Amino acid sequence: MTTRLQDVSQAVDELGLDRKNRAAIGRLTASGSVGYATEDADGWMRARVRIVPDQMIWEPSILVLPHGGDAELDVVNDDAGTHAALFPSNGDRQFLPLPSYSRGTARINLDGPGLYWFSSAIGNDQGSGLRGVILVLGDVPDHARLDRPDQPRP
Amino acid sequence: MTTEYVDAGTATNQGEFSGMTGSAPPVTRDIAAERLRDARSEPQNWMTYYGAYDGQRFSRLDQITPDNAHRLAPAWIFQSGSAGTHAGESTYAFEAAPIVVDGVMFLAGWDGWVWALDATNGHQLWRYKHEVPTDLSLCCGNVNRGVAVAHGKVYVVTLNAHVVALDAATGACVWDTAYGDVRAGESATVAPLVVKDMVIVGSSGGEFGVRGHLDAFDLETGERRWRTYMVPRPGEPGSETWPDGEEWARGGGNCWITGTYDPELDLVYWGTGNPSPDFDGEVREGDNLHTDSVVAVEPDTGAIRWHYQYTPHDLWDYDSNMENILFESDGRRLLGHFDKNGYFFVLDRTDGTLVSVTPFVDRITWGEISPDGTVTPKVYPADEGEPVHFWPGPGGGKEWTHAAYSPDTGLFYVPVQDVGATITRRRQDFKESVPYWSASVAVDTEDMAGYLMAFDTSGREVWRWHNEVPMCASVLATAGGVVFTGRPTGEVGAWDARTGELLWEFQTGSGIHSSPTTYSVDGRQYVAVPSGWGSWADGFLPGLIGGSHGDAVVVFALPEDR
Repeated sequence: MTTRLQDVSQAVDELGLDRKNRAAIGRLTASGSVGYATEDADGWMRARVRIVPDQMIWEPSILVLPHGGDAELDVVNDDAGTHAALFPSNGDRQFLPLPSYSRGTARINLDGPGLYWFSSAIGNDQGSGLRGVILVLGDVPDHARLDRPDQPRP
Repeated sequence: MTTEYVDAGTATNQGEFSGMTGSAPPVTRDIAAERLRDARSEPQNWMTYYGAYDGQRFSRLDQITPDNAHRLAPAWIFQSGSAGTHAGESTYAFEAAPIVVDGVMFLAGWDGWVWALDATNGHQLWRYKHEVPTDLSLCCGNVNRGVAVAHGKVYVVTLNAHVVALDAATGACVWDTAYGDVRAGESATVAPLVVKDMVIVGSSGGEFGVRGHLDAFDLETGERRWRTYMVPRPGEPGSETWPDGEEWARGGGNCWITGTYDPELDLVYWGTGNPSPDFDGEVREGDNLHTDSVVAVEPDTGAIRWHYQYTPHDLWDYDSNMENILFESDGRRLLGHFDKNGYFFVLDRTDGTLVSVTPFVDRITWGEISPDGTVTPKVYPADEGEPVHFWPGPGGGKEWTHAAYSPDTGLFYVPVQDVGATITRRRQDFKESVPYWSASVAVDTEDMAGYLMAFDTSGREVWRWHNEVPMCASVLATAGGVVFTGRPTGEVGAWDARTGELLWEFQTGSGIHSSPTTYSVDGRQYVAVPSGWGSWADGFLPGLIGGSHGDAVVVFALPEDR
């Protein structure tokens, strides 16, 4: 038995998993675009995330923050359907009802490196593809790191 | 054409749509060192992880007795649910010990949740969510074992290794300090311990080759007072128990279960975890201090006054994090510890001298510990690729869940696991954040048993209650002569403390792998039991790895017309 290995983005495109109701009913989670937040002089990171019409996907579906901290998101629903954004944030998750063709703001705080999810939290929006990732880059503060020589990473 | 958008406004806390009150009475405002020291004098409250500094998990409440326990019924249930994507989607579990102060319950869930509840009816007063990355290195699931309270605050650690202080009246974050490196494989699951004006916490990550440490933080500011590593650097005391090279730097010895404290001796007793890699001892010749040990720590400085190593040069994953219960016998200040290795140790807690060591589980094949404490390994993964089978398996003769001690009966009550495992050594190169076990591990799914057992202070078995599968929930002892614990199949039960007779059971719907607590409000005694199966069932009870998940705290009481 042989298994054909293929580049992920190419395979997702060829299979139609990056479009709604082609190979599958919905879209493969986070198979949309990658976006980068800007870092402003006031210390806030800012980005826009929007729901693409008829696609059940966030754009970007992978939002990159350069480090942990406060971020302000411009949230746009360009879809004819009603959705409801749910963003991770320390303290409590941030909830924003998004009627069709609506726009609002979410302010979030994430305090360390790693992957955090966001979504639309009504219907089966999550299972259909309206689920994205916030990627926080960077390292933990020096005072939190282990006192040891540098170790190999994968 | 420009789209005219509907103004969706600004996102708000999701909790505002949860029906919660948003605030709690300021019940922890007056909790400070003195009150915590005398916690057992307030039997209506369960103010610390173990109920009191001595770790006995014993309450002076006596309303529920062997005569009336059969009348226990649910008083209320709190459920949180699991929503959306989170770390450990198949391993999240409810492992906390509910804290109760003057009618308010403070509870930690998985995935960074903390709740304040009305302890009489379960109504949510406030909630806090700390965001946890989904991609953390977690050996043992998305879990948290509870909070600590003092100075008007609630203290909790997060899976991404922060320690956080919340306003106990509102749930608002007061301070937040990172104390571990998630990129290195560190995390945090321990319930904090408040001692004097500090909150003491340890780290998790012993399965990922980190260097275990214990940290103390200022209660008011979150500033770190001290950090003590459990594995010494070259040249430090104990470093002679490690080989030359860098194995010390990834040697494990994590402090992932709460310690106990003797205020008169002013010593904190903290258990430490396995050495890394778990099963390949050839790369770390020596005793590997201070892994698998109890360390007696001076709380003002973090200095280790003495240590006792329960399993030197561990080759079986026998963490010794579990409780070190403080008790007195014949005028001596003693410490009792049921270890994963299947032996019950009693030490003189003034200096760590061994008083007695006795087996407490039926099948022990990994080795033998003689009455003088001499350890003789017999079966271990010595050769690459050669499977070996031994009892107890890496889940231990007793897992992290806790024994209880009743000063009324003079008995320890112990959840016992009798399950073995097959280990095959597979040497690994170390890389940060990658599991560093150096073995393939297959825990038995047949030929196992569990017990709730009672032992006297000499280690003599007094009674046992048999279960088809290992028992792995903490035990709660009460002055009413009733002990409580739960089963992996979801039943919570009450047993006669003197005879071991099962008096009552209730099916909660999910396995119990938590620490039940008890409290009273307006004269009515309650028993609170977090129910929610998951965690590292692959390591201690794979025969039930498909058990129902859950997310409830079920609180029981006698009928009002008792």
